[in-house]
Amino acid sequence: MSDPKIDGFELEKGFRGMAKDTGSDQTMFKGVHWGKAMMWIFLLSDTFVFSCFLIAYMKGRASTPVEWPNPSEVFALDAFGVPVPLLLIALMTFVLITSSGTMALAVKYGYERNRKMCGYLILATALGGLTFVGMQAYEWSKLIHEGVRPWENPFGAAQFGSFFFMITGFHGTHVSIGVIFLFIYCYKVFAGHYDEGKRGWFTKMKGDYVEVEILGLYWHFVDLVWVFIFAFFYLW
Amino acid sequence: MHAGIIFFLVILGSVLFHIFTPWYWTDIASNWQGMDDTITLTFWVGGGVFVAVCLFMVYCVFRYSYKEGRKAEYKPEDKKLEKILTWATTLGVAALLAPGLIIWNQYVNVPKNALEVDVMAWQWGWQYRLPGEDGKLGTTKVTNINDENPFGINVDDPFGRDDILVQSDYINLENNKPVKILLRSVDVLHNWYVPQFRSKMDAVPGIVTFYWFEPNKVGEYEVLCAEYCGVGHYAMRGGVEVQSTENYNKWLSEQETFQDLIAKQEKLEFENKKIVKNNNFILNKDIYKEE
Amino acid sequence: MSDEYENKSSYQAQSSETISGTGSGVSPDMDYVRPAENPEQDLYHAHSFIEKWVFCQDAKVIGVQYFLTAVFTGVVGLILSWLMRLQLGFPGLAGFITAEHYYQFVTMHGMIMVVYFLTALFLGGFGNYLIPLMVGARDMVFPYVNMLSFWMFFVAVAVLMASFFVPGGPTGAGWTLYPPQTILEGTPGHGWGILLMLISLSLFVIGFTMGGLNYMITILQARTRGMTLMRMPLTVWGIFTATVLAMLAFPALLVSSIMMTLDKLLGTSFFMPTILKAGEVLEYGGGSPILFQHLFWFFGHPEVYIVALPAFGIVSDLISVHARKNIFGYRMMVWAIVGIGALSFFVWAHHMYVSGMNPWFGFFFASTTLIIAVPTAMKVYNWILTLWRGNIRINTVMLWCLGFIVTFVNGGITGIFLGNVSVDVPLSDTYFVVAHFHMVMGIAPLMVIMGAIYHWFPLVAGKMLDEKLGKWHFWTTFLGAYSIYFPMHYLGFIGVPRRYYEMYDSPYMTSGVGLNEFISTAAFIVGAAQLILVFNIVKTMKTGKKAEKNPWKANSLEWFTSTVPPEHGNFGERLPVVHRWPYDYNVPGAGEDYLPQTAAPSEVAHTEVEKT
Repeated sequence: MSDPKIDGFELEKGFRGMAKDTGSDQTMFKGVHWGKAMMWIFLLSDTFVFSCFLIAYMKGRASTPVEWPNPSEVFALDAFGVPVPLLLIALMTFVLITSSGTMALAVKYGYERNRKMCGYLILATALGGLTFVGMQAYEWSKLIHEGVRPWENPFGAAQFGSFFFMITGFHGTHVSIGVIFLFIYCYKVFAGHYDEGKRGWFTKMKGDYVEVEILGLYWHFVDLVWVFIFAFFYLW
Repeated sequence: MHAGIIFFLVILGSVLFHIFTPWYWTDIASNWQGMDDTITLTFWVGGGVFVAVCLFMVYCVFRYSYKEGRKAEYKPEDKKLEKILTWATTLGVAALLAPGLIIWNQYVNVPKNALEVDVMAWQWGWQYRLPGEDGKLGTTKVTNINDENPFGINVDDPFGRDDILVQSDYINLENNKPVKILLRSVDVLHNWYVPQFRSKMDAVPGIVTFYWFEPNKVGEYEVLCAEYCGVGHYAMRGGVEVQSTENYNKWLSEQETFQDLIAKQEKLEFENKKIVKNNNFILNKDIYKEE
Repeated sequence: MSDEYENKSSYQAQSSETISGTGSGVSPDMDYVRPAENPEQDLYHAHSFIEKWVFCQDAKVIGVQYFLTAVFTGVVGLILSWLMRLQLGFPGLAGFITAEHYYQFVTMHGMIMVVYFLTALFLGGFGNYLIPLMVGARDMVFPYVNMLSFWMFFVAVAVLMASFFVPGGPTGAGWTLYPPQTILEGTPGHGWGILLMLISLSLFVIGFTMGGLNYMITILQARTRGMTLMRMPLTVWGIFTATVLAMLAFPALLVSSIMMTLDKLLGTSFFMPTILKAGEVLEYGGGSPILFQHLFWFFGHPEVYIVALPAFGIVSDLISVHARKNIFGYRMMVWAIVGIGALSFFVWAHHMYVSGMNPWFGFFFASTTLIIAVPTAMKVYNWILTLWRGNIRINTVMLWCLGFIVTFVNGGITGIFLGNVSVDVPLSDTYFVVAHFHMVMGIAPLMVIMGAIYHWFPLVAGKMLDEKLGKWHFWTTFLGAYSIYFPMHYLGFIGVPRRYYEMYDSPYMTSGVGLNEFISTAAFIVGAAQLILVFNIVKTMKTGKKAEKNPWKANSLEWFTSTVPPEHGNFGERLPVVHRWPYDYNVPGAGEDYLPQTAAPSEVAHTEVEKT
């Protein structure tokens, strides 16, 4: 199914060709695995979720009567006694982006049927995600320690805490779910389920390395969303 | 066959109902005749389409009901017909939209000479404030509201001192004088609506919304809350009396200003009397029961 | 696919296009269809009773499960509407209906009917059952996720129903759940009730997302050989577009639910400005109630079309089959469905003309709203032009379709009143609005649901429903429902606001008392008339005559399954191969008055259609 060549089907060039291709029989996206198409559409829907959150945040921030706190002071971290703005966030972002890289490599080795490399790289990705969640927990506890709550904070508008905890929490949930699945897939890869086409415990469906790629799509998306959250919360 | 007849009777009945209905608009008492006219226009155009479409359907039912061996026409599309119908519909819709937008333009542009009326809503009641001699309303804040300052006027604001306070859900308005209703709410959404004036707008806590109209018929009208605001919604009524200029001015001169209220309270305090005031914010016991 | 139909030989291409592989040049084999792109689907057959009927992975069973659960909620909604009408028509007659109860009934009725009944019924019920059959697939592409989708929906319904039994009762905030009133004292069910409602909605969105992914991918990626997009029945187009809308609109509902839950539980102030209650300033401040309205209606308006588009699609198919004539202007119909769907994301603020948002938005949203009227009107024209010069069977199914046309045109035209910003000002928040949306998205889709039940019952159950009972059912429902909602518009003209527990003694409103009594009586009759359907189904299952295969002589694939009712896998050994659109009725030169989608060109070479 991952073979992109379709028998008896030649693409015409230009817009008409695209229309013909799109409307042709059986599949709209030629040679695209069902699960992959599903993940793309899910991500589109999820994009709307995060967009709604971020638009609500922009509206909330723009219309609050109280001054918004200065992010570079609130999120500063003391390193050797000097407050460095955004230090922790920079680290978190670095870890998450790196994990995207290891995920991409895992997909590559998966398709090469290199079980060992694929498994270790997924494990690395999972550990990266775990580190990210851990650092986020640290940041939350630091802010809570400083008196920031969802309903109030000492730095300014109460909505700052509300939106911060809600949106980073929602994103953190996404990361955590991703980490859980990464561990499951890591086990499945090492156990060789994808090589044998073993049926899943719950789904009763045969597995394949394409699932690693599908999870990879999700993981990259979560990273991408983080970039937006980063920009809107920490740089604005 | 009987199906076609019944459908025909339904269409006929609808038209007759519309012509002979005893339930129709209350007599208009404001300048928004244009809204009524647009509704009438929409009724003619829309009603015409409804009757035409349904009668055509009834005709088809009579003319083409099933006969063994009859061949239906095989004609998947008719580009020309579809084009004509699309353009005709577009024109019709544009013809309805245009007057609607023109009137909306009048609705959102308040005339300069309009009298500003501050309508304050809460669960479940109204009160009103009119500008004093300076013609300007003082600024307000929800957190200022208390027994001494029922409207929450900023005490430092010089414009607020001479504001006329109407602590009642009845207000009087001057005939043939445009009114800009400034709506604010201290708790939830409300909507100050007089059916005879045709116009309405929600009162939203946190912001001030507005609309305007010009009453043009002397008389008393009932004010309804038109945005659901909790269990007392249906009982949240008020009143308006539209008066001639003479009567209105007489009524106006009898009203208390914010300055008067402060003076009165200072005097009371001076006499060391405990202020027992009707607190407007105690919930109506008849409506609201503690769970 | 654009201009081929200009000349007289145009329509002939409809059936034979792409037969020659790439669509250009003539292939020597006129029955040629491209080879399969998808491998045989890996189906997991049930091994036990629980796997077969409870946690079932067969889309048809899931469809029936969805259908029955949705109908259950619909019955609850119906009973609530009776109680409301009892209070409105005969105030004080049922002493137990207090204002709190009344508002709880209004809220639950609205939410149940829109989300848990209509949406679940059309997409979960009809979608699951019909999509794989109509596009020629063995099942949905992710059967396991599909099963989860239903059970998530089931839990959502359970949570919703649980809110009837918690302290304070279900929420009475109105189905729009406008803050700040929703979570403050003074609104019934502002504690547990609203919390359960928000949780239930979130679960519904999650469950629906799982189902929606299935519907979309099945339609996009799992069609059978020869089933091009422009050969799909309009039912599939309607459900597909509605699913796309749902996937993009439900996020806004999810987000607003989450934010309001936090406002309620943690005391955040997303939607809560500074509020003075009973002389005390609450601990909220700085939030925007209008933000919620924007989020809600960004979901809420597409939601209207999530209900309407499947109804449009289904009714097109029913009309075509029973008028024995091809649907008129198929491509116009498809583009109208897609266009309406796309436009529905740009009109949400027409629910908010008098909400206090910036009034200048009114110009934009009034224009976009009225633009939607054009494709919608085109659909209506095409339905009646399909009847024209047809050979119309006036049976129960067709009656429901005709009833749909009357109620839909009526409700659509009152929509032009409400969409046209300044006309909306006197009418909004009155009974005119109530009458409008009940007519257009209550009664009209209900007519389609009923028609669809009578149409597909022989497929699902293998027996024909009784025609005579069906006609009684139709006429009482149609005439009753029409006499509920048509006069109700005039209550709105008088100026009677909606969501009023009691009218009190306003002189102009008391003139509506008699009308209210009449409407209530009609509502009781219509509700009770639905028992005719129940009786009909029971009777049919016991003594009804067995349905022959394809009893309506329809063309689409669901009637060409290996067995009736279809088994798991739908089509037996080999999937059907499609050679034409599903509307080849009364083709000149063909012997029968219908040509199934599976009829190969060589089999019908003598008909005019195939003379290219």
